[in-house]
Amino acid sequence: MAISQAAAQSIGILGYGETEYAKKTSRTLIDLLADATRRALASSGLSKDDIDGIAVCSFELPPDNAVTLAEQFGISVSWAYFGTAGGAGPVASVTNAVRAVEAGDARAVLCVSGDDYDVAGHYRLMDHFNKALINYATPNGFGGANGLFGIVQRKHMETYGTRREELGRIAVGQRASARRNDNALLRGPMTIEDYLNARVIADPICLYDCVLPCPGAEAVIVGPLDRAPAGKAVRVLSGYERHNHPPGEIAPLRGGWELFRDALWSRAGLGPEDMDFVQAYDDYPIMVAIQLEDLGFCTKGEVGRFLAGHTMSFDGSFPLNTNGGQLSCGQAGAAGGMIGLVEAVRQLRGEAGPFQLAAAERGVVSGYGMVGYGHGLSTSSVVLERAV
Amino acid sequence: MKTAYPQPREDADNAAFLRSWRDGVVLIQRCRACRTAFFYPRPLCPRCWSADLKAEEASGRGRIVSWSAIERPNDPAFNDEVPILLAEILLAEGATLLARVVGCTREEIASGAAVKLPPRAIAERYPLPVFQLYPEARP
Repeated sequence: MAISQAAAQSIGILGYGETEYAKKTSRTLIDLLADATRRALASSGLSKDDIDGIAVCSFELPPDNAVTLAEQFGISVSWAYFGTAGGAGPVASVTNAVRAVEAGDARAVLCVSGDDYDVAGHYRLMDHFNKALINYATPNGFGGANGLFGIVQRKHMETYGTRREELGRIAVGQRASARRNDNALLRGPMTIEDYLNARVIADPICLYDCVLPCPGAEAVIVGPLDRAPAGKAVRVLSGYERHNHPPGEIAPLRGGWELFRDALWSRAGLGPEDMDFVQAYDDYPIMVAIQLEDLGFCTKGEVGRFLAGHTMSFDGSFPLNTNGGQLSCGQAGAAGGMIGLVEAVRQLRGEAGPFQLAAAERGVVSGYGMVGYGHGLSTSSVVLERAV
Repeated sequence: MKTAYPQPREDADNAAFLRSWRDGVVLIQRCRACRTAFFYPRPLCPRCWSADLKAEEASGRGRIVSWSAIERPNDPAFNDEVPILLAEILLAEGATLLARVVGCTREEIASGAAVKLPPRAIAERYPLPVFQLYPEARP
């Protein structure tokens, strides 16, 4: 789905918010979502009564939904969206919110995502995620997402010669950034040897290929750029989503990004080489690698060499998931699909403090998720730019 | 004590497949309109949307496309069987599925290896099709 040229110049992200990340919480999911929302609203300069659209992405919110969350929050909305694209949902929700504002369906939209998540919750969720997994994966002891992505990673390694030493540079680079981020749950030092020697979870997936499920929430406010605090607005130059591509493959080494990549860049009037940073969905380094290929940062199959030639910390040659990403901050369920978006806005506003990039004018954010029979079905991406 | 495996939920779409497996038979579906063979059970052909589907007994022969050795299963019922060898398997009939490979070690399993169905006495322990290595298979 395209964002019009007019919308890209007049509508965008006005503010962002992120809860504290913790390994456990006594707070409810509604409380976590409210916390991120309040922070985003304060950052946007808007007031509660300005919000008349709501988009929410959460695995654990049902039986509640976008409309019942509006009741909890005491807002009357003319546009409501509940994400069905897992970790690709939050990025897609922003694209949809921009279009809703352009269409006049809402003046300002709260896009919020979060979960009260933990390790046991991950297995519970995956065991009951959808009909195909319930019936044809759970009874096989499939090991949740880890087992499925072990199959994907091995195929990439055997097809293209990709090595763990190369994929590990993603986890190590992100950890270097996380060491400066007080809100990252995993801040200890990590070397490539630590990565390579970590406990096996689902061979070839090892401990530092995996995210730590945790409670948390993320939010942004979408609305007219001229409503943002001076110098703080962020343009959404282009945005696309794609689901179930390629159809019928259990463990593809590509995703929907390859279909919309050309449109994503041409609509933005920019290319991969123009990006100051990449916030890619990092449930596993192998999926970051596949996103980099599909988004055109390198050709298919060459990501191992690409990674070997770069450092991925915020101050490295290829700034990637610059707050540490899910791999170091933790994965707050569906908020894992928004942590990169919020970090992108933080960087573009110059508010990342100890892990602020020297130059952050534009970047790309990518989402991925909704694991079906073998892999994540959903993909989404936006190109963002500082509006001043 | 060993707990029971989590079980698939039987419904009109998958009853024939699940019941056949209890007899050690792997049923796949083939579309009569476009000849596509597919798994998992569905009420429509995912390629052409035809509802004219034929249940077809698979030979049980296939090849491992890729695999994972799972040390941390999703359900405690599998804890004393780790590593669970979970593979993407391409059946001779052209359908692919996710299935356990049993009766071999992590050192023995390999992508590209031929597989076949295990003997009935082994197969009937499992709620879904499992495979074993078939080194005698001609390439």
